[in-house]
Amino acid sequence: MRTMMKPHELAEFFHESLCIFDLKAVDKHTALQEMVNCVGDRLRFKDRDLLLDMLVNRESLGSTAIGKGVAFPHGRSLAIQELIVLFARSVEGIDFDALDSKPTHLFFLIIAPPQDRDNLYLQVLGHLVELIKTPALRKRLMEVNTFGELRDALASA
Amino acid sequence: MLSLPRKMAGMEEQVKLLVALQDLDLMIKEANDADTSSEMKQMGFKFDGIAELSKARENLSKRIRPQLLNRYERLAKSYGRAVVPVTGNLCLGCFVTLPTSYPSLKSKDSFLTCQNCGRILYFP
Repeated sequence: MRTMMKPHELAEFFHESLCIFDLKAVDKHTALQEMVNCVGDRLRFKDRDLLLDMLVNRESLGSTAIGKGVAFPHGRSLAIQELIVLFARSVEGIDFDALDSKPTHLFFLIIAPPQDRDNLYLQVLGHLVELIKTPALRKRLMEVNTFGELRDALASA
Repeated sequence: MLSLPRKMAGMEEQVKLLVALQDLDLMIKEANDADTSSEMKQMGFKFDGIAELSKARENLSKRIRPQLLNRYERLAKSYGRAVVPVTGNLCLGCFVTLPTSYPSLKSKDSFLTCQNCGRILYFP
């Protein structure tokens, strides 16, 4: 059984440069592309197509949009060296093949190297999934506009 | 829609295709792993597209030169991971330091392997 990560510890995985408060994408593929480009810009990463292909393949295994307007695109790739967590939000909402067929507004992109310390990737994913079940947090995340507000919302959840 | 080149590509692209193949193999392995898939399902994720992943693997394999693919399969059988990244001249498969001249030996017709473990090297 995994140890429960505290909300403020979880908030530490987020970075200011890995936040998109207003996704421009209008469909699933371009949303993934926009998020991967943000990761690529931060890491000065040349093989963005590797990440995109991995995420597209993951979506073909089953949509990562678990409903209530939230999706967790995730997976592992040799192309990256450290755990990446990105927050993105679409005010309009995107058809991400969600389980409840509703538009997805909040995205948490999580990418890990093939082997990561203590399987941190699954821990972070699991804790975020748990946290986001709280309607008040989802509502607050729809209203945050700065990295500080995002971190406060997660840390105080 | 996948974004990696469709045609039989130069060697650098071929190594990238191997990285994509290895990412896909890991995803298939995790999807078939009872513990991981049960944990994912508990979180609320669907895992019903394994056949789609197998199809994607088949299509990807066709774009890799047979000789290189055979080498990948052999190395994967021995080591689990056939392709490993290089960071700071270090092979992250066996942690041996590679000669500093190594990256410059890459050409469009050849790929590099670790002189110690033989794994295929990927320069992120």
